[in-house]
Amino acid sequence: MAVTIHEEAIHGRSAAALPAIPAGLRAAGPVIVLLLLGFLAPLLTVAAYAFATPKSFDVFRSFTFANFSAIFDTSNTVWMSFAWSLAFALATVALLAVIAYPIAYGLNRMFGKWSGFIGVLFVFPLFVSENVRLYGWVLFFIKNGVLDGGLKWLGFSGGPEVLYTPGAILFGMLYVYLPFMLFPMSLGIAMIPRDLVDAARDLGASRLMIWREIELPLAMPGILIGMLLTFVLGAGAIAESKILGGQSVITIAQDIEVAFTYAQNWPLGSALALLLVAIVSGLALYVLAKLDLDRILGKR
Amino acid sequence: MMKISRRNMMQMMGAAAFAGPLASATRAFAGRAKELNILCWEGYNSAEVLDPFRSSHAANVKAESLTNDPTMINRLRAGETKIWDLINVNNPWARKVMAPAGLIKPLPRAEFEPYFDTMLPDFKAPYRWAMSDNGEDLLGMAQRFGPYSFVVNTDKVSKTTAEEQGWDLFNDTALAGRYGIQESDDWNVFNIFLIAGINPFKEHTEEEFKAFSETAEKVFKGARMVGDMASLNQALVSGEIDLYMTGGTYSVSPARADGYPNLRAITPLTGPIDGKGGISWIEITSTVNNPDLSPLAIEFLKYVQDPEVAHTVAFAEGTFNPVSQMGNPKCFELFTKDELEAIQWDSLEEDMARSAEYDIVPDYDKALELMTAARRLRG
Repeated sequence: MAVTIHEEAIHGRSAAALPAIPAGLRAAGPVIVLLLLGFLAPLLTVAAYAFATPKSFDVFRSFTFANFSAIFDTSNTVWMSFAWSLAFALATVALLAVIAYPIAYGLNRMFGKWSGFIGVLFVFPLFVSENVRLYGWVLFFIKNGVLDGGLKWLGFSGGPEVLYTPGAILFGMLYVYLPFMLFPMSLGIAMIPRDLVDAARDLGASRLMIWREIELPLAMPGILIGMLLTFVLGAGAIAESKILGGQSVITIAQDIEVAFTYAQNWPLGSALALLLVAIVSGLALYVLAKLDLDRILGKR
Repeated sequence: MMKISRRNMMQMMGAAAFAGPLASATRAFAGRAKELNILCWEGYNSAEVLDPFRSSHAANVKAESLTNDPTMINRLRAGETKIWDLINVNNPWARKVMAPAGLIKPLPRAEFEPYFDTMLPDFKAPYRWAMSDNGEDLLGMAQRFGPYSFVVNTDKVSKTTAEEQGWDLFNDTALAGRYGIQESDDWNVFNIFLIAGINPFKEHTEEEFKAFSETAEKVFKGARMVGDMASLNQALVSGEIDLYMTGGTYSVSPARADGYPNLRAITPLTGPIDGKGGISWIEITSTVNNPDLSPLAIEFLKYVQDPEVAHTVAFAEGTFNPVSQMGNPKCFELFTKDELEAIQWDSLEEDMARSAEYDIVPDYDKALELMTAARRLRG
């Protein structure tokens, strides 16, 4: 009897002093608050602005779909910017997958003691500002610049006209986003057990079959992460079209920037940003769902 | 010896409770007395300008530079009047937008008007753009200014040809692919109107907007590139382009100072703004309507009027520009021959005379939408 009373007293006291919040959650509390304030709050503010009266700062005080109806108005050509951005992002992903795979494979299997050094070479540009690197390419490709001037000096008629074209934008994106595809892909390839490849070879599998049936599926998580990362970054790219492309096409990030600056229309800019987030995340989730990660990862 | 009774203990606690917030207010005031935040065009944020002020006032001075007026005004409108003490934007915004919206406060006229008397003749007090609409309040101080129309490589297009043909150069199909456009959308709106032969600073008819839209499409399609002024100067030097629009002393002076005097800002002889061919800008620096305005704001405005500091402002990093204080011989003497050459002092007076002053386009939103749509057709 005395024991029972004692237990009740203990349980009663602890329940009163500490509500039923697990210790882990309590410990994570400060980080959760920081994340909510630092990441979610700005996104929610942008979302709220998207439904505010156009050309006003009436956030949280007005609610309208006017910004979206302006975007979906048939006379509005902003869809062209969305199309360019998504096309560039998809082309960047597709081309980088082909370009980065052999490099990632080499870093893991071929370059031996040089792989660390070569890896550093690919990381090194990340220490320099993207804009500076892109301006460097402008000086390389510009008329009488490094390429054109160098070829003329060697007696040729000069270099090709590369700058200020959509091709130059794509080149810039491939250059800037290569490490973001390469390193997740390299990690993916590092996950392939060598024993499995050796066993397949001993059992008579051809090189192509080993690649298709073993290496590619096992490296797929890394490849997918690289593709996803590159696609999201590519869809929001702006510096390449501004610096290398001479704005030969207008990307959606630039339209958002103009809405927030010269047009003084934060609600429209927010609506465009929200739409971009929806399209990019929608496409990414759709592709991930279609690819069936479990099967790729060999869990089924 | 004082005895502490229960009663006077309560009194002391009450006094402490009352004084607590006041003490923190005093701390805040003391903090603002040594703190200054400036929202400005580039130049005022350079160490050359700010460091002497920082050390002489032992102050924490922050300056943020942006590249267009509307964005700076936006920041105040969005509630940042509590942050900034000074705002430096082009002429019409203080008088026509910020003062009516209560975003800035007037300056003490008696203290500041004498400075205008030492400026170049056009800036004599009461200088229109520094005053409120009713002419009663002084809203800011003038300093940097300049003509801003287009820039040519005079080895390819002569100064005389450029001045005579003016904006029609951008209608010339022979020059398609030979010119660039600066990514300065507010000024590009002005310039597209001028190329279409329309005064930008008035209400426009549907017919005029149609002409504007067609001109914008043609001009953007014909452009070799759209870029920032450094890229455009580089493209002029390398021969990628022969001219670019939305440019002037402000944009080309760094290239001229670097040894390319053949690159020159041009102001057309005539144009559709009451016969004027070009547009000029004048920066006006105002005190923000900050509820806790730093006393250093007024001090800084006086500091930049000093001849030596005004000369430093003229040649602060990024761009080189004439300043209104060049009317003061003590300031003018500080400019070397090369510096005067870089800012095109030889033709400054006539360029300014041919220019209408920067103003606000009443139907800017619609024009910007049309221009943005036209720009998308480049791809």
